Amino acid sequence: MLRAGRAPRVLSVTELALMLRSALETGVGTVWVGGEISNLKRPASGHLYFTLKDKQTQLAAVMFRSAAQVLVFQPTDGMDVVVRARADVYPARGSLQLYVEAMEPRGLGALTLAYEQLKAKLLAEGLFADERKRPLPRWPRAVGIVTALHGAAIHDIRTVLRRRWPAATVVVRPVRVQGRGAASEIAAGIADLNRLADVDVLIVGRGGGSLEDLWAFNEEVVARAIAASTVPVVSAVGHEVDITIADFVADARAPTPTAAASLVVPDAAEVADGVARADAALRRALARRVSTARERLVALDRRLGDPARRVRDLTLRVDELGSRAHRAVARRLAWDGRELAALGARLERAGPIARLASARGQLEAAAGRLRFAAAMRVRHTRAAFERTAAQLDALSPLACLERGYAIVRRGDAAGAVVTDAAVLRPGDAVALVFARSRARARVEDTEG
Amino acid sequence: MADAAPRFEEALAELEGLVQRLEKGELPLEESLVAFERGVNLVRLLTQRLADVEQRVEVLLKTEAGKLIRRPLEDEEQ
Repeated sequence: MLRAGRAPRVLSVTELALMLRSALETGVGTVWVGGEISNLKRPASGHLYFTLKDKQTQLAAVMFRSAAQVLVFQPTDGMDVVVRARADVYPARGSLQLYVEAMEPRGLGALTLAYEQLKAKLLAEGLFADERKRPLPRWPRAVGIVTALHGAAIHDIRTVLRRRWPAATVVVRPVRVQGRGAASEIAAGIADLNRLADVDVLIVGRGGGSLEDLWAFNEEVVARAIAASTVPVVSAVGHEVDITIADFVADARAPTPTAAASLVVPDAAEVADGVARADAALRRALARRVSTARERLVALDRRLGDPARRVRDLTLRVDELGSRAHRAVARRLAWDGRELAALGARLERAGPIARLASARGQLEAAAGRLRFAAAMRVRHTRAAFERTAAQLDALSPLACLERGYAIVRRGDAAGAVVTDAAVLRPGDAVALVFARSRARARVEDTEG
Repeated sequence: MADAAPRFEEALAELEGLVQRLEKGELPLEESLVAFERGVNLVRLLTQRLADVEQRVEVLLKTEAGKLIRRPLEDEEQ
């Protein structure tokens, strides 16, 4: 087989492999190639091994850990990807292999894919469930804010908090909100604010930006920190259209930092209105209580008048009984003259007329004492009533009326007092009672 | 504000309770007057607190050693 004289140069296997490698390097170099991932393996080393294939062909591929760990998404079997790779010979097995330096999903952007993958994962874990959402406190002592110290977000939040509820302390935990490392800073900020006893609610966010700008809020470490927070978290990332993973995990989501600030504190103006309403209700309720007491006193006075009348009634009855007795005795005396003669002397000594006269004297004395006692009691009660009435006058609704309030009554001025418009219907007649005059009016409309 | 003073929400809740009790009209007159006076005092307290407050703004910093420090946020830092 070997021709004499012109012995060909015989290569060693290694030499050939090196030639092939060199040929691949110069002839092919680094290329972008699209295909489908299959047979993906991810051993403990962190390197990714897979086959990149299309309908006719497949090539072995490896992506070393240094390249694989910067992928934002998780490659999976069947995923259609574009990779930047160089082809090389793996000398130990003599096989051709693609060394992948970068990878992107085909169709979707890498970030979009990563977002969808993390969202699906956390959703499956139940981190977005409504049952996990905690109610925001109504009266937070301090509001913790995780955001950039110099951004528009902090300015907007502080402006709203100062206007609505200055009583709450604001604690800012400054962090970077974009770029490498931002996500772990945000997560640490959430954990740090959780260590402050007076912080009752957190706002985590930043102003609007591109998907890349907002990326930190789509990272798992931030989502985990929000889920682990013991105080409720309001997310405030960018504007309406951008829903981040942080938004899904947070207890409440605000479209902007301004809106987040409005969510976490009450509005002092509304609270002041409530206090003013309570003040008016107190005065109204007291005035009503006093007028009820006054009505009861009047009724009591009427009843206290009764003993005097009873004394008069009693006196009349005593008089009547006395004269009846007198007549009866006289009739009997006239009825039997004989008996009259016989009884005359006895009657003279111990006759009923004498006893009756003495009884009548006693009765009149008793009636007199009763009249006096009743009169005294009435006078005493009246004096007490007048003192109380004078006290009541000081609290009287009339005093309110003097200041310009009016009482609304149903129908005419004798109707029931209206304390709630709910009892009124349009067209109802009402009377407006002022301090010294009254007016009749008709209800146009009710509300509330 | 003294430490013994009730928290705003507690004072507000007490005021609301007093209004409700007075509105029922079941309290004896004497107690009505006491409740009324207490209510008016609470109104004064609450109104004053709403008017007086100035917001405290602090910044939370972390030392190399991981210690947290709270201090007032200076205006020039914004």
